[in-house]
Amino acid sequence: MSFFETYGDRLITAFQIHLFYVLTSVVIGFVIALLLGILLSRVPQYAKVVMPLLSVFQTIPGIVFIGILFLYLGMIPATVISALAVYAIFPILKNTYTGLLDVKKEYIEAAKGCGMTPLQTLIEVELPLASPSIITGLRMSTIYTVSWAVLAAMIGLGGLGEFIYIGIASNNDQLILAGAIPSAIMAIILSLLIDVLRRAVVPKGIRSVK
Amino acid sequence: MIRFENVNKKYGNSVILDDLNFNIEAGEFVVLIGPSGCGKTTTLKSINRLIKPDQGKIFVNGQEISQVNPVKLRRKIGYVIQQIGLFPNMTIEQNIGVVPKRLKYDKKEIQKITRDLMEMVDMSYEEYAHKYPSELSGGQQQRIGVLRALAASPPIVLMDEPFGALDPMTRATLQKEIANLHKKLKKTIVFVTHDMNEALDLADKIVFMEHGKIVQMATPEEMLANPASPLIRDFMRKSALAADTLNLTAADFLSANVISVQKKKSIRECTDLMARHHIDSLVIKNEDQTYAGVVTIKDIKKHGKSSGVIGEIEPYQNITSDILENAKDSFDKLYSSGDNYVVVLNNDQTIAGIITKTSMATAMADTLWGDMQ
Repeated sequence: MSFFETYGDRLITAFQIHLFYVLTSVVIGFVIALLLGILLSRVPQYAKVVMPLLSVFQTIPGIVFIGILFLYLGMIPATVISALAVYAIFPILKNTYTGLLDVKKEYIEAAKGCGMTPLQTLIEVELPLASPSIITGLRMSTIYTVSWAVLAAMIGLGGLGEFIYIGIASNNDQLILAGAIPSAIMAIILSLLIDVLRRAVVPKGIRSVK
Repeated sequence: MIRFENVNKKYGNSVILDDLNFNIEAGEFVVLIGPSGCGKTTTLKSINRLIKPDQGKIFVNGQEISQVNPVKLRRKIGYVIQQIGLFPNMTIEQNIGVVPKRLKYDKKEIQKITRDLMEMVDMSYEEYAHKYPSELSGGQQQRIGVLRALAASPPIVLMDEPFGALDPMTRATLQKEIANLHKKLKKTIVFVTHDMNEALDLADKIVFMEHGKIVQMATPEEMLANPASPLIRDFMRKSALAADTLNLTAADFLSANVISVQKKKSIRECTDLMARHHIDSLVIKNEDQTYAGVVTIKDIKKHGKSSGVIGEIEPYQNITSDILENAKDSFDKLYSSGDNYVVVLNNDQTIAGIITKTSMATAMADTLWGDMQ
């Protein structure tokens, strides 16, 4: 009991900050990834070069990246958010790109043959058909971002990572768990919410197919 | 309606369309056929600009199509593909409404069109309109594929092997339906297939292509009578071979070479006849030429005397089969009855011929390897 008396308020604030980092960076990452994925799927010949480059980027440890950004941008939330957004991009980008390329040619030909413009084909046929794959990418990004957001505390910007760092530094298991368990719960809740979103976004006709 | 003028198309070094010139009249059902790689699909797809020729002009409705916005052009030309390509994320009604929606028809109108079209192919609007393509069978899906092409009542419909992926029974049904639709709606239809039977059944005109050129453009009757090249003849023969064996009837297998006699013929004459033809039975006819039965040499011996007429002997009621009966049923009878042959009767009960095990084998060899006689 005494733990919550001591840390309860801070824990709630940390949870809120953590959630804020996750949501903003995932939303930003999603928008960028979706647009980039669509663009790359229009020019698969360039995508063959661009995608591997981006995936190399992905292997830079978050701790390094956030550190570098910190040097340039300083100790502001934007540092954390842009770092997390960059990491959130890749899973969504990759799934958007492959999801769009996996749309069977017959549908695209049928759409063309029916007199759909390329934009109509994209919005009415390709994106709906790629939506299961895109949502899967979104879910991966979200779950990763919840854990990556722990790094925010490294540059003193709060979030649940704070508890974990302090816990590790002071060898206090209770504090480590106080940071770890809520972030696990956050990941679970967010992924359940994405399931709800999937139900709303993925067209009924293809739900049973995949 | 559709005119090709000196149309050429190359992919790399291979010539796909070689100076193509032809004309399709309004309301015609034209079938493009030929071996794979002959350019039939390329020809079809250049009509709605899915493929752009390197040279030459294509006119649709008097307009040179390279001058027309391709999106607008395609909305006036129905298009059906082999893979069906119904959008799985849309309901049947939404699929049918794809083109009308783009042409800004209102919702009620689209609903009416959907209902009317579905009625034409005997699919209930209530049952199917709000289903998704994955809930329909292949045949039903392609029906909808055809309806989608017809929805905005385009004057021209292009079909690229639309029934190629369907089983033979469904294909036959859909062929009938498309023939009816064509009769009813008077569309200009350009239809690609590699199935000569399909071409012969459906076409007003068949365009036979090889190496990007037209070898022959003719009505089915003309092509059957005077195939312009050995390849066309070959195509026809193969298609005869593939002719639905299900549709063969007793008529295809009978031997008309049957010895039959009237009841009033004397027994002596009958035995002579049998001896001369090396046969041991005769088919007996009533006076009105209808079938009465069969008398064998054994029956005559049993009868004892050679005076009198054959009608005195009670004829054996041999197994018979109607001339329009399915061939397989006739064979089953032949094997299960133990009789030496099946007597095939015309509709008026007169004798058309008999099916023996030999005539059956010959006819089968005929179907398989061409003319054996």
